[in-house]
Amino acid sequence: MGTNSGATAGINNKPVGGAAVLGVGVANSAILTNSLGSGGGGGLSISGLSGQNANVGGLVGGMGGAGGGAGNNGSDDSMGGPGGGPNNQQATTPQYTIPGILHFIQHEWSRFELERSQWDVDRAELQARIAMLLGERKCLESLKSDLTRRIKMLEYALRQERAKFYRLKYGTDPPQLNEFKPSSNDDGGIGTDVATDSEVPYSSVSNTTWRQGRQMLRQYLAEIGYTDNIIDVRSNRVRSILGLNNNADHDGVGGGGGGGGNAGGIGSGGENLSPNINGNESNKRASESEVQQSNDAIILDTEAAVMANFEFLGPTEMSDDDEISDDLEMVATDNEDTDVKMAKRPKSGKDMLTEDLEAEVGEQLLNDMNLITEEVDGSLGLGELAQLTVNNESDGAYDANAKDGTGGSAGGAGYRKTWNAKYTLRSHFDGVRSLIFHPEEPVLITASEDNTLKLWNLQKTVQAKKSASLDVEPLYTFRAHTGPVLCLGMSSSGETCYSGGLDGNIECWQLPSPNIDPYDCYDPNVHSGTLEGHTDAVWGLTTMQNNIVSCSADGTVKLWSPYTKEPLLRTYTAAEAEGGPSSVDFVRNEVDHIVVAYNSAHCIIYDTETGKQVIKLEASQEMSGNTGKFINKVVSHPTLPITITAHEDRHIRFWDNTSGTLVHSMVAHLEPVTSLAVDAHGLYLLSGSHDCSIRLWNLDNKTCVQEITAHRKKFDESIFDVAFHATKPYIASAGADGLAKVFV
Amino acid sequence: MKMADGSTILRRNRPGTKSKDFCRWPDEPLEEMDSTLAVQQYIQQMIKRDPSNVELILTMPEAQDEGVWKYEHLRQFCMELNGLAVRLQKQCSPSTCTQMTATDQWIFLCAAHKTPKECPAIDYTRHTLDGAACLLNSNKYFPSRVSIKESSVTKLGSVCRRVYRIFSHAYFHHRRIFDEFEAETYLCHRFTHFVTKYNLMSKENLIVPINEEENAAPGESEA
Repeated sequence: MGTNSGATAGINNKPVGGAAVLGVGVANSAILTNSLGSGGGGGLSISGLSGQNANVGGLVGGMGGAGGGAGNNGSDDSMGGPGGGPNNQQATTPQYTIPGILHFIQHEWSRFELERSQWDVDRAELQARIAMLLGERKCLESLKSDLTRRIKMLEYALRQERAKFYRLKYGTDPPQLNEFKPSSNDDGGIGTDVATDSEVPYSSVSNTTWRQGRQMLRQYLAEIGYTDNIIDVRSNRVRSILGLNNNADHDGVGGGGGGGGNAGGIGSGGENLSPNINGNESNKRASESEVQQSNDAIILDTEAAVMANFEFLGPTEMSDDDEISDDLEMVATDNEDTDVKMAKRPKSGKDMLTEDLEAEVGEQLLNDMNLITEEVDGSLGLGELAQLTVNNESDGAYDANAKDGTGGSAGGAGYRKTWNAKYTLRSHFDGVRSLIFHPEEPVLITASEDNTLKLWNLQKTVQAKKSASLDVEPLYTFRAHTGPVLCLGMSSSGETCYSGGLDGNIECWQLPSPNIDPYDCYDPNVHSGTLEGHTDAVWGLTTMQNNIVSCSADGTVKLWSPYTKEPLLRTYTAAEAEGGPSSVDFVRNEVDHIVVAYNSAHCIIYDTETGKQVIKLEASQEMSGNTGKFINKVVSHPTLPITITAHEDRHIRFWDNTSGTLVHSMVAHLEPVTSLAVDAHGLYLLSGSHDCSIRLWNLDNKTCVQEITAHRKKFDESIFDVAFHATKPYIASAGADGLAKVFV
Repeated sequence: MKMADGSTILRRNRPGTKSKDFCRWPDEPLEEMDSTLAVQQYIQQMIKRDPSNVELILTMPEAQDEGVWKYEHLRQFCMELNGLAVRLQKQCSPSTCTQMTATDQWIFLCAAHKTPKECPAIDYTRHTLDGAACLLNSNKYFPSRVSIKESSVTKLGSVCRRVYRIFSHAYFHHRRIFDEFEAETYLCHRFTHFVTKYNLMSKENLIVPINEEENAAPGESEA
C-alpha cells in the first residue's frame, strides 16, 4: 500500500510542481501530499481505483480546457464529468500532458500487476506451509496413537503381572481375572491364556523341583523387572511383524479374552498384541507334538525368550526346538526394551543357569559348546562356564543384536562392531607362534614353528597361480632362523621387524615393499642383522621407539638398540626364585620401564636406565600356590598404569603398576590364556587361549564382547598370539594349526 | 610337560621353555590323538624320537589314509628344507650359482613363474619352497588335512620332483652344507626313501647318492 500512496502523491505533485514532467517528483511526494490533501479532495488519498479515476478525469478535464489533443479529449471528457468538482477546483493547476498521464497510468497498472503477482506468490507460500503443518500434525497424531498403544500394552502387561503375582502369592487366581481360566485345555486353544498354557504341561509333569525352580526363576525375573509377560508381549509383537501369526487366530483370542470384560488391552482387539497368542500357539503346538518335545518346549517356552536375552544359549544350541529358536529370533530383532535389562544380565543369567535349569538344559549347553571337554564337569564347571559364556555370539543372533545395538553389555563406548573372519592366511607348515601388524598398512608378518616368517599384504588378495580360492598369499618368506620362530616385534615406523627364535637369536629384517612380487629375486639385504647374546630360546620381544627388549629361556631380559655398534644395552636378571622370564613388555605410560613376567607368576617392573627393580606385581593370597598360575603373556595398557597378564590357570589379571596390587582377576577362558593384545586406544582387550577361541573384552567393565572360535588344536595347544592393528580395523589370531586369521 | 591333576599330560611349549625342552613330552599314541592334525603330530613325534630311523618314520600306521600320510610327510619335508635353504642362503649367491644346476648335466628351470625361467639357484630354492608352501596349503587342492582328493594326491609328485632338486644342488655344489645338514636331519635320506616307497619320483631322477653306507635300503641308487 505504500506504493499506492506514493503513486497518488505523484499525481498531487503535478498541480504543485506546475509543468514538471509527470512521475519524476515521486520522491518529493511524501511532503507535498499533505499540503494538497485538503485541496485535492478525498479521492486522492484513497488507494481505490475509482478515486484515482475520478482524479485523473479531473486533471484531464483541466487540461482539456488548456487545449490538449482532440482525440484524447473526447474520451477523457466522459470521465471528466463525475470529477467536475475537483476539476474546477484545480482549474488553476495546469500543465498535465497527455503522454505524461498515459505514462502514469501505465506505470500504475504495472505496479498493480506486480502487486498482484506478489500476492499470488505469498498465497502459494502460505498454502505450502499449511500443508506442511497438516503433515506434521498427522505425524504427531500417529505418534500419539502409537504411544497410546504402547501404554495400553504396558498396562496390560502390568495387570497380567499383578494377576500372576497374586496367583503365586495366594495360590488362586485373582477374582478379576477369572475369565482367563480355561474352560478346557483341548478346545482348540481359544480361551486358554498364557499362564495356564505354561502351567498345564508343567503341572502334568507334577514335579515339585520344577515348580520351585520356576518360582525361583520368576523371582529373579521379577527382581530385575523382567516378566515373562513382557517377553511374551514382545515376542508376539515381533512374531506378528514376522507374519507368524494369523489374524483370525489373533482376533479370536482377543475376543475370547475381552469377552470377560477384563481390560481394554485385550478388548481393543486387533491393535493390541496380547500375550494370549503366544500361549495359545504354543499350547496348540504342544498338543500336536510328541510328549517329550512338548514338555521341553513348553517349559522352556517362556524362559527361552529370557534365556535368549541372556544369551547363554545361542540359536545353534536351541536349534532342536523351533519354538525356542523363534523366540530367539524375535528377541534378537526386538531390541528396544532389551537394552535396559542388559546390564543385569550376567549375574542373573548365571544364577539361572546354575540354579534353575535342570540337567537337560545344562546338557544341551554342554553338548553344543564344542569347547567344553570332559574335564569340565559337574555344576562347578557349569558355574564357571556360565560366567564364561556371557555373550557367546559366534552366531547370528548376536550379530543381529550387535548390529541393532542391543549388545548393551558392551558398555557406553558405543562400539558395536562384530568381528568376522575375513582372511585366512595359509602357508605355514607348522604352528604360527606370533604375528604382528604393520603400524599403518594393512600388512602383517607371521612367525612360525616352521622356522620362517611370512609377510602378507591384505590388500593384495593375490589370485593364486595354482588356486583361485586363496584369500591372501604370502609376499615374502623370511628365512634365517634355524629353529621355530617364537616372537615378533616391529619398529614404530613399520620399516623394520625383529624376530626371536628357539635358536636364541634375534633377527632383524628390513621389510620388503608390500607390493613386492612373491617370486622376485632374493635380496640378502632384507635380513639386516642378528642380535646375538641370548643363549637359549627367545620367547618375548617388544619394541619401543628404536629399542627392543627381549626375554629368553636363558633367564635374562635384554635391552637392545639394533643397528648400532653395541646393540646390547643392558641385561636384567631376576632372583633365582623367580625362575625364567616368560614374557616382557614396555610399560607404555612410563618411559624407561619394562615389565617382565616370570615363571614364579610374578611380574617385575624394571627401570631400564638403572636396571633396578621398581616394583613387583604380586598378590600373595591370590597367587598362593602359584603352580599352574604361570604367566603366558604380559602386556602393558597403552595409556593407564595397568599391567595385564594372561595365566595358565585360565585367568586374566589386571595389576596396578604404581601400587603393585591386583586390581581385577577373572576367569577368561576354558583353557590357559596364551596371548593378549590391547587396542591402540586402550578400550578393548583381545585374548587368545588354548581353548581354540579368541575373546574380545571391554576393558571398561571387563565383560566379554565377542568370542570367536578361531583355530584347531595341535597337541594341547591352539592359539598362540592375537593382535590389533594400530590404525585399521583389523584383528588377527595365530594358531597351532599353522593358520593365521584376520578379522574385520 | 607339566602333569596336571590326574594323569593328563599337557603337551605344550609354554613361553619360557628352554630349547632343549621344546616339544619334549612323552609320545602320544596316534590312536589317542583326536586332533585334525594327528598325522602331523605323529610324524613329528617320530622324527623327534629318532630322526635317523627313516624306516620307522615312514612306516605308515594301520588304517591310515595313504594320501594324507604322503601329504603330511611332504609338508614336513618342505618345512625342514627351510633349514637347508637358510644354510644355502649364506653361501649360494646369484653370482656363484647363476643357475639351478646339479652336476653339469642338469639345469633346472624355475616353475614358479608364468614361463619357466633360469633363476639363480638360491632364487630357485626359495621360489620352489614358497611355491610348494602355497600349493600344499592351497584351499583348493588341499582344503582338508584329514582327507585328500585323489586328483590332489597326484600333485604331490611334481612337488617332490622340484624340491628334490634343492638336495641335488646342495649335494653337488655345496657339499659341506649338505653333509652338515644331512648329518643332523637325515632329510635327504628320508626323502629318497619316501619318494621311492610311494613311487613319487622315477629312480633316474634320484641323483643324490645316499646309500653309501646303507645296504639295507634298496631302491635309492645313483641314476
